[in-house]
Amino acid sequence: MARTGARSAHVRLRRLLVMLPWLMERGEVPLSEMATHFALSEAEVVADLELAAMCGLPPFVDELIDVFIDDGLVVAGIPRVFTRPLRLTAPEGFGLLAAGRAAMALPGAEPHGALGRALDKLATTLGDDGVVVDLVRPTLVDDVVAAVEMGERLSITYWTPARDEATERVVAPRAVFADGGNWYLLADDERSGDERCFRLDRVLAVASTGIIDAPRPFTLPNPQRWFTDDPDIDRATLLVPNDLMWMIERYPVDTVTPAAPDSVVSAVVMPVTSEQWLRRLLLRLGPTVVVSAPERWSHLAADTARSVLARYDVVSRDN
Amino acid sequence: MAEPLERLTNLLALLLETKQPITLEQIANEMIGQYPVNDSARRGSFERDKSVLRDLGVPIEQTVLGGDQAGRTAYRIDRRRYELADLELTDDERHALQLAVAAARTDDSWGQEGLWKLGVGSERPALAVAATMPTFEALPPLREALATRSIATFGYRGTDRTLEPYGLLLRDGYWYVIGRDRARNEVRTYRVDRIDGDVRVGVPSTFERPTDFDIRQVFPSDPKLLGEPENEITHAVVRVAPERALLVAAEVGDEAVVGWLADGCIDVEVPCVNREAFRSWLLGLTDNAVVIAPEGVRADVIGWLTEIADTAVGSG
Repeated sequence: MARTGARSAHVRLRRLLVMLPWLMERGEVPLSEMATHFALSEAEVVADLELAAMCGLPPFVDELIDVFIDDGLVVAGIPRVFTRPLRLTAPEGFGLLAAGRAAMALPGAEPHGALGRALDKLATTLGDDGVVVDLVRPTLVDDVVAAVEMGERLSITYWTPARDEATERVVAPRAVFADGGNWYLLADDERSGDERCFRLDRVLAVASTGIIDAPRPFTLPNPQRWFTDDPDIDRATLLVPNDLMWMIERYPVDTVTPAAPDSVVSAVVMPVTSEQWLRRLLLRLGPTVVVSAPERWSHLAADTARSVLARYDVVSRDN
Repeated sequence: MAEPLERLTNLLALLLETKQPITLEQIANEMIGQYPVNDSARRGSFERDKSVLRDLGVPIEQTVLGGDQAGRTAYRIDRRRYELADLELTDDERHALQLAVAAARTDDSWGQEGLWKLGVGSERPALAVAATMPTFEALPPLREALATRSIATFGYRGTDRTLEPYGLLLRDGYWYVIGRDRARNEVRTYRVDRIDGDVRVGVPSTFERPTDFDIRQVFPSDPKLLGEPENEITHAVVRVAPERALLVAAEVGDEAVVGWLADGCIDVEVPCVNREAFRSWLLGLTDNAVVIAPEGVRADVIGWLTEIADTAVGSG
């Protein structure tokens, strides 16, 4: 087997069909540049090109794919069959248009700038797209983005749901991102010295400090699962009737299995970032959901419901 | 036997170069030694190759021949349909697309695959502003269906739906497809992540989208407004504890704050047309919020909470 056997012929052919026209346009390219461009190792590029060099057959294709690598330089003569890339597939077209629409919804986007023009050109080949990305944002977001761009430290009042308290913090903002309907600020927290993510709808107030920090490299957390990647986070097992599973779908889960063979109830193992969060989830899910593990949370739903009901006894309708 | 990649590349080149559609026998003759000799094994290998190429998006056309070849199927690829048209993107437009694909963070490589075809590399600039974009296998065929005005058919909650798709909307982390459901003859909204299995795309130009269609109009921004009102009740008044008053006021907007109390509580009037969405919002505030009015909504919430409280009775 070839060393590159891990990548299927399907994946490699797809890549080859974009590599060949790209090479053709350039004639010769440093191997390292080509590897970076296509996010491959140099060995993978060489393997693909070596295989490509074996292709081509007379009489329909009288030119062979003529590729060789000389002193770190890829030199190519591509037969005219592969001078243009394959048209965009449905996923590629969707990926480009939706990314473009999303970027247009971010703070600072210019509706008539280069991106808008690029999307118009794409729409001429892909058809009227009808894709709308709505990233509704609190007004605060634009102020925080401005601070990120300036590198200005901010003083924020932040409500922490896990402890249900508001605290004053000074943070060095690095990036702002939207995820699952919420906006977050990635920042260096002065008090703990750690990098932290703050949910912007929990920022009660922002004040500038006038202190400017030097930029530093940062990495945004992984999309969607980012806040549960930490293995130290507690897990709970919930028994959820299948007709309620859609309410769980918005949250990251580790596993979903039938509670018993042929059961209409699923056992869901999910990360629990705080007990407060689990309380809210259980109230929303209602009386048919049971926490089967850990035991300390088996009465959490009932206890929380009672504490809320106590408020209804206190607050009468017409006071 | 040739390596799969080599055989696929040769087959693709052959089908692109031929002027006339050619049969499997002719293909095997041209590609000597690359397909099995045995008829059914050859047909099997060829069908697999053909489906790999189609999966890549290669438009392979097939025709059934007449004359002395009557009944045989012949294949070719129309180069004009195969090749990406020159979009004439300028360098700054390419760069803008690269930034967009970097800013819209996904688990898939669709955008990057597209960028490669446009000549843009894999370099990822660090961005100060970004957004996570969830993606699902159903999205590309739905977009294709709505762009070409083709019917999309898919399974949803155990039923097959036949939809004239009018638009796709990403809001609050969810993708929705909105269109006219043919069986029900009304405009409906479906959550894309709940679509079961594949989306089938029908024949192009099968329907017209209403010229005045505006997805943001059809789809209310507040999920608590979705659906049909029960008993004409559309709003409820909720009293919010001082600890949450600021947050909730910022969320619902000043005009929805109908009362400021001396103890720091506020009363807010919020939509409750969709009772489930309302309850979910309310209970997110746990014991910091209480429904004041109307009575029916208040009773609903108390009933719900009482049932939950009763789950622990007798068990400890």
